[in-house]
Amino acid sequence: MRLAHLWNQATCIGCGACIAACNAANYKSTDRPNPTWRGLQTNIKRIVFDRELKPHTLLVQCQHCENAPCVAVCPTGASYIDRDGLVKIKPELCIGCKYCMTACPYGMRWLDPVTGLPNKCMGEECQDRIKHGLQPVCVTVCPAGARAFGDLDDPNSEVNRRLRGARVIRLLEHKGTRPKYFVVVGR
Amino acid sequence: MDLTRRDFLALTATAAAASILKLPPKPQQEPQSAQAGGEERVPVMCNMCGAGCGVYLVKRNGIMYVEPNLEHPQPGLCARAAAAIQLWNHPLRLRKPLKRVGDRGEGKFQEIDWETALNEIAAKLREVVSKYGPESVVFTYHDFYAWHMPFIAFTLGTPNHVQHASCCHNASTYARMLILGAGGPPTVDPDYERARYVILVGRVFNAAMGMVHRLKKAREAGVKLVYVDPRMGNAAMAEGEWVPIIPGTDAAFLLAMMHVILTEKLYDEDYVKKFTNACFLIKPDGTPLTEKDLGREGADYVVYDLDAKDFVSYKKAKNPALEWEGEAAGVKVRTAFLLLKERAARYPPEEAEKICGVPAETIRRIAREFANARGVIEDGWWTSKNANDSDAFRAVLTLNALVGSIETAGGLYIKLGSKMPGSATAAPDKVTTITGGTLPPITAKRIDTLKYPAVPHVFDAVLDAVLEGKPYPVKALIIVGTEPFTRDANTEKLKKALKALDLVVVIDVVPNDSADWADYVLPDNIFLEREELADVKWTPHAAIQFSHKALDPPPGVDARNGFWIMMEIVRRTVPDRAKAVGYTEEYADYHRFEKFEEFIKKKCLESLSKSWNVPVEQIERALEEKGFFVFQYWTPKKGPGARPTKSGLVEIYSLRALDFKDDPLPKWKPPPYTKPTRPDEFYLVNGRDQFVTVHAIWTWSIASLVDRRVWMNPKDAERLGIRDGDLIELEGLDNGFKARARVKVTNRVREGVFFVYNRAGGRFSKLITGQYEVLKEGINPNMFTLSWLEPLNGSPSLNSTVRVRKVGA
Repeated sequence: MRLAHLWNQATCIGCGACIAACNAANYKSTDRPNPTWRGLQTNIKRIVFDRELKPHTLLVQCQHCENAPCVAVCPTGASYIDRDGLVKIKPELCIGCKYCMTACPYGMRWLDPVTGLPNKCMGEECQDRIKHGLQPVCVTVCPAGARAFGDLDDPNSEVNRRLRGARVIRLLEHKGTRPKYFVVVGR
Repeated sequence: MDLTRRDFLALTATAAAASILKLPPKPQQEPQSAQAGGEERVPVMCNMCGAGCGVYLVKRNGIMYVEPNLEHPQPGLCARAAAAIQLWNHPLRLRKPLKRVGDRGEGKFQEIDWETALNEIAAKLREVVSKYGPESVVFTYHDFYAWHMPFIAFTLGTPNHVQHASCCHNASTYARMLILGAGGPPTVDPDYERARYVILVGRVFNAAMGMVHRLKKAREAGVKLVYVDPRMGNAAMAEGEWVPIIPGTDAAFLLAMMHVILTEKLYDEDYVKKFTNACFLIKPDGTPLTEKDLGREGADYVVYDLDAKDFVSYKKAKNPALEWEGEAAGVKVRTAFLLLKERAARYPPEEAEKICGVPAETIRRIAREFANARGVIEDGWWTSKNANDSDAFRAVLTLNALVGSIETAGGLYIKLGSKMPGSATAAPDKVTTITGGTLPPITAKRIDTLKYPAVPHVFDAVLDAVLEGKPYPVKALIIVGTEPFTRDANTEKLKKALKALDLVVVIDVVPNDSADWADYVLPDNIFLEREELADVKWTPHAAIQFSHKALDPPPGVDARNGFWIMMEIVRRTVPDRAKAVGYTEEYADYHRFEKFEEFIKKKCLESLSKSWNVPVEQIERALEEKGFFVFQYWTPKKGPGARPTKSGLVEIYSLRALDFKDDPLPKWKPPPYTKPTRPDEFYLVNGRDQFVTVHAIWTWSIASLVDRRVWMNPKDAERLGIRDGDLIELEGLDNGFKARARVKVTNRVREGVFFVYNRAGGRFSKLITGQYEVLKEGINPNMFTLSWLEPLNGSPSLNSTVRVRKVGA
């Protein structure tokens, strides 16, 4: 099983529902600022390329890499790739050394101000949701249908359905991370 | 041991301890959630903005969050709904009634109890009413309690419930009235589901998320979206074309498109003949030729029938001429179509380019693409931008009509009404209420329509009456869940008026700036804390929804239902009138008040049941389980049925405009503010994305997503030696107002134009503290404006022009 996220840049209206919903579901709507990224405690980061000729947005989150640098550098085995293909953290093994935060080329881990431990996608509530057959909250709330989540090993999964016939990029592929976050840029 | 992260985290007590009050049965079409043990879902109408999207408040694993109600005819959601819990337990939520202890504007208060607050307000109102009459009391509001407001105001005896509308949609509402005989923005919208080509003029899908859901199908079918806007909104960064236009010139662009479509004969001739009044013959004085003019029986408008070779009533013509001119009844007449063509000919693309800054070739290409695709142009919602916007939206509706895109698949739909009864009606002989009450008629006229006769809800007219005492004095203002400082134009006038009033009451959730100017500030419920039966807007279908009460206010927040607050003020002011509409002292007990609400709900459901011939129980069950009920589904047609215009047709030549002595055809007029001419002078435009509303902007999620900087084009920045992040000072060219902000250098704004988000920054309330002081960063663009209002509909210009100066790095 290789669970993966897909985000369609070509249809995203940039409403931020996924970003705010991640905060609500996984971080109990906390308004405590995110000490790493500033702003909000959420697992999705919005980057706007304002100076491009055609400005565009990129929503970035944990890529659930198949060759995950965060897992490779973890000295305790707290960061690991689960059988479902998702990169997860065992908090009881985490010593808060932040190696993973430094190693992630996407900068997609942030420090929880209460526990002092790194946070990332998927949050606890989203993990529980998929365990119960629900979609991650960012996928559920998207009004534009710009998000999908599913198993790359299942040819009938929504992610695979959407990957067919779409122009897709993956981020920083040259880093050799084998990311499982697919950005649809057009048809 | 399998320890989860949740066990590790210190739980925030408030969210976890909160109880969801009402637990309707789990919807059966959600088999997935059935597996998710312990999940509770409450159907709610989101009220983080006025769109009222259908959502669920979900409680799973002790965590509360919002999910879209996907079966709902207008499903959510955006970041605002997702941030709803942050509003609910907001640290700056108004917790107790406050009474002013300093001067107005100082923001100094003491906490008082509800009983004292309500009694003191009522005592003051009694004094005002006895001296100046009940019409001297004005309620101003946005969407919260909008349905209840006539009931509240009319019971007090004032006709003056004055919404935010002039600073939102009066321009496009006027256009819809003139051309379609339609009403406010939800009455007409694009059929996004089937749209092939959509042009959005200054619009960004910022509110009703159901529209975005419906657009999904069209996206799959390859719809093209075109955004005509001086700045590039968030949605425009996805697939689509952005047409950066000079502010205040939309009408010129649209009329040039029209010129291309008319001269190249790209319009749908059959549709235009059948569904519009293009064939009407217009006399030299601008009025239409009638049977009466020809000395015939009847008073029908007349067309020239090419088969009959004679003048015939438009209702009977077989082959009416679209382009005809000649003698009739001793005068020269021409078809409305020829007059429209002549009008559009004033705006050939090359001339329009000089006005709007869009290359002539782009105008031509978009006109052809639009016509060939039988596209649709969005009909306008927030259109109070340049005090010339009603002409732009008249051009929009005319263009839709020309290509056959009204009441057709992929064109504009005309919404099916839900027949939701009003809360109260003021007839010339009496006032009647939903509760079965009757009151003597209200003789005073609305203060706004005395000055702006075409469209009501012009708050600027209230300010004039406060300051001038004409046409009659206004002495008390009750501001309900809205924020004049970030809503209305002309801040200086607003401040003067707030100083001059005898009584100012603010009913709100968080300290919006006008709280500082209030004598009393009363804490209101948020939508999750109260029930509401409402029309489903922003869907073509006829439907109602019921927002369940999902939560009590968090501990320490003694907020009350605003309807109760206002009815208690009214009852304590005019007890006999309150009694006459069924509101007695019994309901002063907050818990008994629920009975009153239930009674009103029952009356509404009985009325709906009768109107649609559906049993009350059936409606109630659906509202209980799913939160909505659809009475009738809209389907595309070949064109509109009889419209409530003077002719019953789509009036591309507006006869209603003639009644107002307005031009029957659209034109471009320059905006009222001083045009920027020097190198350091700029347009200051403001706008929205899914972040901007009176309450949502307060949540940390939205405060973190929104940008409070002033956007500036890289070429302008380079020219002026300004860099990203620099501190600049802006000075209004027309009012000299100065304010400072940081700069964002971005290609998302046209050269010569600055952009800021509306409502996002430049706040000043003294009640804003801690991390939320970020709301004071940036500028409030409204403060650079004057009372530039369109004469008939009162639509102001919230855009302005400024001089810029770098003051720091």
